[in-house]
Amino acid sequence: MNPSWQLFLVLIISLEISFTHRLIANLVLIVIAAIILILQRLHWRTYLRLLFLPAIPAAALAVTIGCFSPGHDWWFAAVLASRVYAYVFLGATVTVTTTPLKLARSLEQNAHLSAKYAYGVLAAVNLTPRTISAIKTIRASARMRGIELHFYSPTLYFKAILQALRWSDQLVLAMESHGFVENQSRTVAEPILVSVSDWLIVVGAIICLQVILIAFP
Amino acid sequence: MNAIEIHQLTFAYQKKQPVLSIDQLTIQLHRFTILHGPSGSGKSTLLKIIANFLPRHGGQLSGQLRMPKSQRVAMMFQDPGMQFALDTPRHEIEFALENLQVTSTDIAPRVDAALTQVGISDLADRRFATLSGGEQQRAALAVIIAMDADILLLDEPFASLDSHNRQLLIASLVQLQQAGKTIIIADHDLSGYRGLNADIVSFKDKVVRLSHDQAQFLLDQAPAQSIVTDLLDTHESPAVSLHHFRLKRADQLLIDQPELEFMRNRVTLITGESGSGKSSLLLSLAGLLDYEGSVTLFKWPLNSFKPRELGRKVGLTFQRASDQFLNVTVAEELALSRRQGKQTYFNNDRLNKWLKRLGLSKMDDRVVYSLSGGQQKKLQVLLMLMMGQPLLLMDEPFSGLDAQSAADIAALIRACQEHSGITVIMVSHQFTNLSSLVDYQLALANHQLTYQGRKQS
Repeated sequence: MNPSWQLFLVLIISLEISFTHRLIANLVLIVIAAIILILQRLHWRTYLRLLFLPAIPAAALAVTIGCFSPGHDWWFAAVLASRVYAYVFLGATVTVTTTPLKLARSLEQNAHLSAKYAYGVLAAVNLTPRTISAIKTIRASARMRGIELHFYSPTLYFKAILQALRWSDQLVLAMESHGFVENQSRTVAEPILVSVSDWLIVVGAIICLQVILIAFP
Repeated sequence: MNAIEIHQLTFAYQKKQPVLSIDQLTIQLHRFTILHGPSGSGKSTLLKIIANFLPRHGGQLSGQLRMPKSQRVAMMFQDPGMQFALDTPRHEIEFALENLQVTSTDIAPRVDAALTQVGISDLADRRFATLSGGEQQRAALAVIIAMDADILLLDEPFASLDSHNRQLLIASLVQLQQAGKTIIIADHDLSGYRGLNADIVSFKDKVVRLSHDQAQFLLDQAPAQSIVTDLLDTHESPAVSLHHFRLKRADQLLIDQPELEFMRNRVTLITGESGSGKSSLLLSLAGLLDYEGSVTLFKWPLNSFKPRELGRKVGLTFQRASDQFLNVTVAEELALSRRQGKQTYFNNDRLNKWLKRLGLSKMDDRVVYSLSGGQQKKLQVLLMLMMGQPLLLMDEPFSGLDAQSAADIAALIRACQEHSGITVIMVSHQFTNLSSLVDYQLALANHQLTYQGRKQS
């Protein structure tokens, strides 16, 4: 499916379930998303992470509403907990079926997002592994100068921010030196198409969601 | 107009501190021009001005720079890792070609051709984070080749390349020049350009273009890289020993070493192809990279040290000097190393003497990140020597340094080492005039480190 349409659909669905309180709709969404995720044949650790990480906020929400709200409304607690899982699973269907580059290209080509944003964000995403190793390096270099930096040490953040500022300057130079000019039109190496099936899936899914939302509690 | 013409040009980041001033300079098109001079003399700045990055991104420019019309300029930077916006070489080249509005169907063949030309077709889809500095630099050149720029600006492009890769790249640059491109390289080291028919702009004292004869003389004179060391004396006691040591990067085997010892109170130089794993070895000895097998450091297993203890035993000068800095100004950095440092060699007099010799005196208020690449490198090495760890790992301590600065740094390391006996393991692609500093030399090839040298007389 086209990455932009997929993202658009997931955003619409997430918005709708945020403003409605329907348990069945949430469960249906979780099941559909789970099937999509299982079909992707991911690493078992990814599945574990998807199952257990949302458990903390979901359980916290459910217990708060179920035990401490005036009405001890366990049904509403279940709605909120299932909503957390629906968000996470739907989001995961986007991230596991596409790459950041493909999404950026699609947003530029199909959603006509400005290339500056699409590639700026992408460049920032590509800096993630560098950021992690930079933090490691900062802490190591501090230790070798006799200073222990903890995760709350201001120096760590000062260095990290400084690093980020320098990177952003260099990134601008890098993009410009590779021919990038703001607002100038670009060609595409990999055309990303929107097919009829994308339309059908989006429209069909939204209609089905309305039906389920209205018909079931 | 067939040249880049410069007249009465001055450039400054801060008022009254010009980093570059040129009276009169002409750089011919379709030629191979080398900007040659000590670190901090403004070579990088001139390249950035020609590329039109400066003063658009800061600083003040006065005077005249006339560029020939309709010439596309592309630039390759000193820091190989920071010139890519995307994740892999293929995607980066595609991005550049999209920017130049190359038609979709032409993009793929041009990407492949450029990758093949610099010999990195097999790295096309590897993430930049997993490539060595040398490999990244070749990828950067591939982008410029694919872009088909008319003027190629290269800022110390070979700083992290071994002589083999360097020759390969220079050969492809010469080919490009013969095909009508203009190549302008900033480099402090002429040793790789021997026999080349190139113009030289000297940045020593004042910026002038040398005559043809002067340029040829300098190029022929450039020393070839060689170093003579003694063979290992196995009676010495080791500081570090490796036992069934294996090191990998992204599932690729780098080093597979059954046994190896690094001798105590000696300077050991590790040489080898770029990407062979020299820097990774240093990182693993500093406890920053995982390895298989066992490493013994001063008779104790390396992994038995707590991070804080390890920091007191092992120092590492990073390949990128700015990674070492923790403060803002030069004075603050020096104060930190003074307060925490254990190296007794540096009393006030000696420290001031060295600061002067390294050209770092009277820089107290300068922001460390605004120093030139060479000045940062010198400050970085000084700061780490002041810390006085018994084992000091140095990753490219001479990169970006001119011959004089490199000799000064070598003398500084030697002075500290003689005063209080530290063990130094260094990785360097540049080892001209290092014979007096280096005791032992290890070559890394085919995943193995072997001691080089002649028998002791």
